[in-house]
Amino acid sequence: MEAFIPVVIMFVLALLLSGAIYFITSVLGPRVRGRIKLSPYECGVYEPAAQTSTKLPFQFRFYLIAVIFLLFDVEGAFFLPWALIYRESLAVDGTLLVGMLVFSFFVVLGLVYVFRNKYLNVD
Amino acid sequence: MDWLDLTIIFVRTAVIYVAFIQVVPIMIWVERKGAALIQDRPGPNRVGPFGLLQPVADALKFLFKEDPIPKEVNKFLYAIAPFLILLPASLVVCAIPIGDYAVFFGRDVLLQVADLDVGLLFVLSIGSLGVYGILFGGWASSNKFSLLGAMRSSAQVISYEIPLALAAANAVMFYGTFNLRQMVFAQEGTLFGFLPNWGIWYQPLGFLIFFIALFAETNRLPFDLPESEAELVGGYHTEYGSMKFAVFFMAEYINLATASGLMTTLYFGGWHLPWITDARLLELLGSRNLLALLQVATFTVKLSFFMIVFVWVRWTIPRFRFDQLMRVGWKNLLPLGLLNIIVTAIVLYLVEGR
Repeated sequence: MEAFIPVVIMFVLALLLSGAIYFITSVLGPRVRGRIKLSPYECGVYEPAAQTSTKLPFQFRFYLIAVIFLLFDVEGAFFLPWALIYRESLAVDGTLLVGMLVFSFFVVLGLVYVFRNKYLNVD
Repeated sequence: MDWLDLTIIFVRTAVIYVAFIQVVPIMIWVERKGAALIQDRPGPNRVGPFGLLQPVADALKFLFKEDPIPKEVNKFLYAIAPFLILLPASLVVCAIPIGDYAVFFGRDVLLQVADLDVGLLFVLSIGSLGVYGILFGGWASSNKFSLLGAMRSSAQVISYEIPLALAAANAVMFYGTFNLRQMVFAQEGTLFGFLPNWGIWYQPLGFLIFFIALFAETNRLPFDLPESEAELVGGYHTEYGSMKFAVFFMAEYINLATASGLMTTLYFGGWHLPWITDARLLELLGSRNLLALLQVATFTVKLSFFMIVFVWVRWTIPRFRFDQLMRVGWKNLLPLGLLNIIVTAIVLYLVEGR
């Protein structure tokens, strides 16, 4: 765990920098407030009645992309520990290669399924 | 570990952090001058010689501008979003090795913030946290342009994370470690007697995938859909003003620097000079600290090269459409990444297996 001490120091430094920036901007600078200035920017439209809420439901495609990302990211995560020991294991035998090829086959199968059902076509 | 060690660690961290932060003003100048060069116009030339003080003037202006908080925003998320991008960007700097080690006060000082055994995993995991800042910033602004920018951004960043992880897995497989420092050590010397022994010769396809995915991860053109200024005003930072707006750009440029450093580390030999080993250099120079200086200089040159490539690409290639972006990520880069892993594994088996 000792290797992570500098990371903690870095985290504290970054926090200090963020705090300093936040504090300095809130102190310096003028404060002239107005109804129009504080309304959300929308191409010159500033009447509240003309604006619709932005808390709209997400488009379903984005949810689907998130789910597919989750699946493939987990599969990608399985590759990492395998990759770490693969080269060492070659000195013994090629079992890991066979295992990885079988695993990749199923990953590709999933990819083909996603493509054939056009889950990633956003247009 | 005594107080001297702790002081050294603290000073080292602060110096490297400041070095990565001062990339920001330099990059602002390089980017504007580069754009001017490519578009055949003079660029900034009023403040200081060659407009070199332009970034300073910009920063001062940002500091003295009003920081309005629009009426309908979610105040807490709106306030912390820029810093949620800056924090991961700063933390990733920790893992980048900029040199071997120097000797101060009789101690070996690593020229890297933290020598992490999980270096590459650390970079991948912490680096991807930046998307929360963009998402919160866009959503909390309660502005349609910001929301669209944030949604595009999250879809883009998560889509390109998989090719990035696959290319990284390929590098891990080749070097047999997650430790970035060990990866650099593995790239010392020459290959076939005339090439520098760099990772790119062993995994060119992996480098290409990594390179393209990094453009998407850092939201740079041609993948800057989250802030595409012609369609979305400013994207996720439309509602931001003053220094909070500038923090987004700080984080973007620090990310750019770490991305360039990562490419240098994984594929271009890190701090090593081509064709010559460190032991030989140490003989020639006769001093450990001189060698360390030379290593840092070499690393800086390589990193600057990639930074200039980022600027060059930005002003050369037009932006992708969103469906094109998704198609490149999922239908081209992801299968290519899988193919790359399988081919590398089989070649390694044929060469080294028994």
